[in-house]
Amino acid sequence: MTQFSENRRKIVKATGSAFFASGLSAIPLRGYAADPVNIGALYPVTGSMAQIGMGCVAAAKLAVSMINDAGGIKSLGGAKLNLIISDVQSDTTVTRTETDRLITGSKLSAIHGCYASALTLIASEVCERAKVPIITGSSSDMLNKGRSYTFTPFARASQFAQTQLQMSKLVSDRPKVAVIFENTAFGTATSNGIKELAASEGVEIVMFEPYSAGFTDAAPLLNKVKASGANAMFSVSYLNDLILIVRSIKQMGLNIAVNAGSGGFVMPDFYKNVGKLAEGLQGVTHWNHDISAESKKCNEEFKKITGEFLFEYGGGLIAQTFMLADAIERAASTDPQKVREALSTLDVSKGFAAMAPGGRVKFGPDGKNIYGRPIGVQWQNGDLASIFPKDFAKASILKT
Amino acid sequence: MIKSNSIYKYGLSLLLVLMVLLPLVVTSSFVLEILVRILLFAFIGTAWNLLGGYAKQLSLGHAAFFGLGAYTSTLLQINLGISPWIGMLVGGGVGLLASLPIGWLCFRLKGPYFTISTIATANVLMLIFLKFRDLAWGAEGTTIPNLGNAPLMMQFDNKVPYYYILLGLLIIALSITAWIERSRMGYYLIALGEDEDAAEASGVDVVKVKRNIYMISAFLTALAGTFYTQYIYFIDPQTAFNFNVSIEAALVSIVGGIGTLWGPVIGTVLLETTTILLQSYLGNSIGGIQLTVYSLILMAVILVRPTGIVGYFKEKSQARSST
Amino acid sequence: MLETVLQAVVNGLLIGGIYALVSIGVTLIFGVVKIVNFAQGEFVMIGMYISYYLSTQFGIDPVVSVLISMPILFVAGVLIQHYLIRRVLGLNDLPQIFLTFALSLLITNLSLMFFTANYRTIHTWYSDEALHLGGIYIPYAKLVSFVLAMVLSGALWLFLRSTDLGKAMRAASQNRDVAQLMGINPNRVFAVALGIALALAGAAGSLLMPFYPAYPMVGQVFVLMAFVAVVLGTLGNVLGALVASLLMGVAESLGIQFVGADSGLIVVFVLLLVTLALKPSGLAGGWRK
Repeated sequence: MTQFSENRRKIVKATGSAFFASGLSAIPLRGYAADPVNIGALYPVTGSMAQIGMGCVAAAKLAVSMINDAGGIKSLGGAKLNLIISDVQSDTTVTRTETDRLITGSKLSAIHGCYASALTLIASEVCERAKVPIITGSSSDMLNKGRSYTFTPFARASQFAQTQLQMSKLVSDRPKVAVIFENTAFGTATSNGIKELAASEGVEIVMFEPYSAGFTDAAPLLNKVKASGANAMFSVSYLNDLILIVRSIKQMGLNIAVNAGSGGFVMPDFYKNVGKLAEGLQGVTHWNHDISAESKKCNEEFKKITGEFLFEYGGGLIAQTFMLADAIERAASTDPQKVREALSTLDVSKGFAAMAPGGRVKFGPDGKNIYGRPIGVQWQNGDLASIFPKDFAKASILKT
Repeated sequence: MIKSNSIYKYGLSLLLVLMVLLPLVVTSSFVLEILVRILLFAFIGTAWNLLGGYAKQLSLGHAAFFGLGAYTSTLLQINLGISPWIGMLVGGGVGLLASLPIGWLCFRLKGPYFTISTIATANVLMLIFLKFRDLAWGAEGTTIPNLGNAPLMMQFDNKVPYYYILLGLLIIALSITAWIERSRMGYYLIALGEDEDAAEASGVDVVKVKRNIYMISAFLTALAGTFYTQYIYFIDPQTAFNFNVSIEAALVSIVGGIGTLWGPVIGTVLLETTTILLQSYLGNSIGGIQLTVYSLILMAVILVRPTGIVGYFKEKSQARSST
Repeated sequence: MLETVLQAVVNGLLIGGIYALVSIGVTLIFGVVKIVNFAQGEFVMIGMYISYYLSTQFGIDPVVSVLISMPILFVAGVLIQHYLIRRVLGLNDLPQIFLTFALSLLITNLSLMFFTANYRTIHTWYSDEALHLGGIYIPYAKLVSFVLAMVLSGALWLFLRSTDLGKAMRAASQNRDVAQLMGINPNRVFAVALGIALALAGAAGSLLMPFYPAYPMVGQVFVLMAFVAVVLGTLGNVLGALVASLLMGVAESLGIQFVGADSGLIVVFVLLLVTLALKPSGLAGGWRK
């Protein structure tokens, strides 16, 4: 512990950090023009997930400006949040080096990122060893195992599965579901949850198949779905494949209810690409812009900046930024370990920090939000409406 | 002649001392990170160079061995608690053994056929590891258990030991290359690389030479795989069998000078430095701009000086010595 | 069951047509110029974007826009041959492979810069409709692209067989030195080869637009299949590439149907390996002795 902090000091001095770290971490500056609090943001701004990454960055900036406009961190003399963004290029190696660079290059109090589970896992490992807290909306259940610096305020992959299964009963009493999923971490984690819970939810799985993402044609896959006799289909896919799948469904005369979970499906871009074909399709998300007055407000602001509605991950990370602010406020310190302590005792039920389905955030010892749960959504009139469960529903279900 | 030889040796020892002392002087974690990256790819490039540079068998599937090494040591560590130091050597062995059937399959094809088949091999391995969860965690991969500072399990809480491990590996790879260059196998290799049919006609056992060099190349590459996993604390099929690893291994050798001892090292230094400069100046303002500049530089090098940097200097000195 | 199999075969053939357009270009370049064009997929992508913009700005149907994308890419091919490829001819494989690889990287990232990573789709009046024959669905968009792919392949084959330039290309492909002695200008022949190959890639892109989204990385999705088709159909053999492409499309589709949804590629690779074991130079080559 001591050797590590000694190295840190050396590094900070050597890199000539302008933020006189040793001073900041020990004494809260009051009455001065307070030094900013550094928050790191790791997102794939380039590479295959560039689109979403850019959206996330826009949301991150919005969140920080909202907090700073409201006066910043009052217990630190109105210190402003300083967002330091790093592009992880949709690549695992880069994530490792960028997380490291971010942590050692700027004295960070906390980090949020990285959208894709595989990337977040790596960042989380680095953060754990560097003892910097990371808060994330990534759903991989692995993020809650064996670590104390990772916080996940939103639903986990296993919970998504359950909600998806329950939603299939909205369509039919005896749902026969074909599950297709992309064969990397995202698809596998989510679909496994589906398989395990199906029986207990009274849902029959007639097909359960991984596929290689980025295919040239969705027709063979859908042909198989058709042959399985399913009346509902769960697809855990990235956006490009989803576009093909949804369009091919119509082309093949397949009459089937689709629940496409999360990911690319719940992005405005999905609707832009498939148009009316999206109407009525259902999904599951960990956040939606109609869940509370605060979320609606964020949605409006986001629309002004980007022209599109605030998507799941973006809205979630705005809430996360507020949670970080709440923790820093209570810790009255920029020291990452103190921020981590404050995060672990977070318990909010109103305001922007509580902007989650169910309206409450409190972390258990494994970093999971004990009130975290997913929200079932449906595309209605070009926008996403929350429809499930009944007590969280903001719109009625569109029958197709 | 004797003078230039001893200058070379003197320079080499100086360089060695410098490299050994460097981490003690450099405290910036960022710079250390860069050095680690450079050493890592110089090492992988040197390993690749044996097959691709000397023997001119352009493999773009070395990630296969990288991944096999990575998975072997990780499986041994997590399932049997065996130290990655041992796992690394076992992984190297696995890579070496794998090069036999892979070589048997791919060497039957020539030129670009060979290249494509090596790409296919790495791809197939990735698909296999993605599909079979019971084998090795499947698509989700796994993280290396956090042991804090555990030198015996190849985990350290700062970058300096990693630097030394890589430095050691690189020295080993360069020594092997230098030794091969001067050995009989080296003559056969170069002959084979220049003109395979002529070499065969002159009595060189082409099949055996290719097989042997592939084994060495694969062994070394697999060691890098283990190191890498220990360094990023994570492994999954897409990272382990990543096409970019195959590409970069070949790239640094080509830019630096294929079939030369120092080619891969120089190529790595150049390319990594360029990347870092690009990153700091252009940043991520516009998606794609970094790689655009990178590929332009690459094209320029290939068009202007295809034999690479070391090749250029070699030609110059040969021209000079012949006058 | 029969219906499922038939549908799978139909699906395979339809996409195989696209594979054919891409792979024929690769095999043509390899046969005549003797280099592997790793950037072929990127020209498909360019074709897609050309059609996208023509459609959204001028309302031109993607299929019609083939008439525009092909000439543009033909010119691009000639220029690339003249300024880039010519300089690495005669050297060994490595710079050649890496030149086209760097080109691929360059074009992909330039596209990322100018077009951004957003997916672009076109909806035509026939995009979502299908021909319904018995129990088999044949989407119009894919049918049109298949027919045109066959037409273009046939046209190329005729060109190579009957025209002087085509024969010159075949001659240069078989033996460059002798061809030169016979008065054939290799650079001119190479330029045409590259031009045609890229034009075909562009056509593939345009024909994909009605049912496939365009994005900078899209080329890489098709190029892998194209390369396998080229090897399977014997390097340099246009007819071989066509047949191999169709075979692969069907194999992939049946593989997905009956082996596993993620096994399409594996089935294709197995097909490749088995073929090479029996006929080491590919389908159009000789049998194993």
